[in-house]
Amino acid sequence: MAEPLPAEKAADIAESDFAEIVRRHQVMVYSIAQHFLADRSAAEELAQDVFLQLHANLASLKSDDHVKFWLRKVTGHRCIDYKRRRGLPQVALDDVPECAAPAEAGDPLLSRRLRQLVASLPEKPRLIVILRYQEDMAAEEISNVLAMPVATVKSHLQRSLAMLREKMTRALGEVTI
Amino acid sequence: MKMKMLWLVLLLASPGLVQAQDIKLPADVEKLSAKAKETVEVTMDGPMLRWASKFLSAEDPEEAKCAKLVANLKGIYVRSFEFDKEGAYSAADVDALRSQLHSPVWSRVVGVRSERDGNNVDVFFKMEDDKMAGIVIIAAEAKELTFVNIVGPLEVDQLADLGGEFGIPKLSPKSLSKAQKGDRR
Amino acid sequence: MSVDNDMNRTEDALKRVLRRQPAPDSFADRVLARVAERNSAESGRGHRDSWWCVFVQPLVRWATATALAVALVAGGLHYRQVQYDKAERERAQGEAAKQRLMLALRIASSKLQLAKSKVNEINADQAGNREEKE
Repeated sequence: MAEPLPAEKAADIAESDFAEIVRRHQVMVYSIAQHFLADRSAAEELAQDVFLQLHANLASLKSDDHVKFWLRKVTGHRCIDYKRRRGLPQVALDDVPECAAPAEAGDPLLSRRLRQLVASLPEKPRLIVILRYQEDMAAEEISNVLAMPVATVKSHLQRSLAMLREKMTRALGEVTI
Repeated sequence: MKMKMLWLVLLLASPGLVQAQDIKLPADVEKLSAKAKETVEVTMDGPMLRWASKFLSAEDPEEAKCAKLVANLKGIYVRSFEFDKEGAYSAADVDALRSQLHSPVWSRVVGVRSERDGNNVDVFFKMEDDKMAGIVIIAAEAKELTFVNIVGPLEVDQLADLGGEFGIPKLSPKSLSKAQKGDRR
Repeated sequence: MSVDNDMNRTEDALKRVLRRQPAPDSFADRVLARVAERNSAESGRGHRDSWWCVFVQPLVRWATATALAVALVAGGLHYRQVQYDKAERERAQGEAAKQRLMLALRIASSKLQLAKSKVNEINADQAGNREEKE
């Protein structure tokens, strides 16, 4: 449900409102960046930049849904730009850091392998997979955020899933995930 | 056949882009968008292709090959119509388009008519100085109509790579050039 | 069916490994600190009493120069933001155009493949007919 933000201009928005927005969405923004870049310090730097940019653009955002949409869009674009500008190499499969979250259910070896494979996807498919499975977004929502045709989003998702499944099976034999 | 969006490739040649006579979409075919459940239109001339290809990533293998393919092209034109039921377009509509390709510069290298599933496919090459200068694909299926025109100097190898780049088996240019098939049951 | 089950398991695994991660400690505080720092750089307000600035000319000149410098910085920051926003818009448009380009190429590719499969069917049928005659 949309939660209307205060109608004041940017200069009038209380710092406490912005602080609340940061606290509400910091996990989402940081997680997208961390899963994409596979680098915690780079992810934090990028996430901070996103919120700084948000602060400058807050007056144009009308609801919490709009804020969330904007954050996802800008975070995604910044992730891709960050990687391209810094010429970060494709993440080597052994280099993906372990996440700080508690241990997941299921085989930790498989989970680690899957994280590595996701981090090795090309940029756009990687971002699409993250938005789909971290944010539980539908293909249509992802297409709106990334300004990409729905068919393209679905195509990337299908191919990425097929590749991930195939590589997981090949690497570890017939393993039930 | 999947009920997916039907890729309709439309041959539209902007003036100046095609040295032979211009290929225009017949008016009756244009009107099909009103009846179609879904329509996809892509019209990209040379400058638009140059601009769009700037955003292709050299680090992405798929995009890198697309950039190489697109580098010398003069236009890509696609129209796709998907319909709810069969019979939404007539054979005359498609014939009106095919008839524009009956010229010395165009060679039909594939022509398949299938009564079994109603899928008809034509592939035309435009040759200039023994090099491919364009391709037209017309796929007339039961509930889909597809027109594709790619204009510009195009190596047959690049065309083969195009087929293989998107996760489907590579299309052998030899098999296309030899496969001049007529009607079949 | 087995493939579908595998896909479902893969998706479940992806949901597990791509769960949201907690932000670093004091992340929000660091963001707010950077915002405050930027605001103070843009505000350009000094902390001197006005009567002091008025009566002490070197200080007046210094304060004026500072205010001008701050205004220039603020203007520069604003300009950069405007330029960044413009670049972002252009980038989004370019990305959309790129996606349409790749979509068109995929369409061409799929229809070429359709043509090839039809040709292969014909060849297979004709080979079968020849064998029957023999």
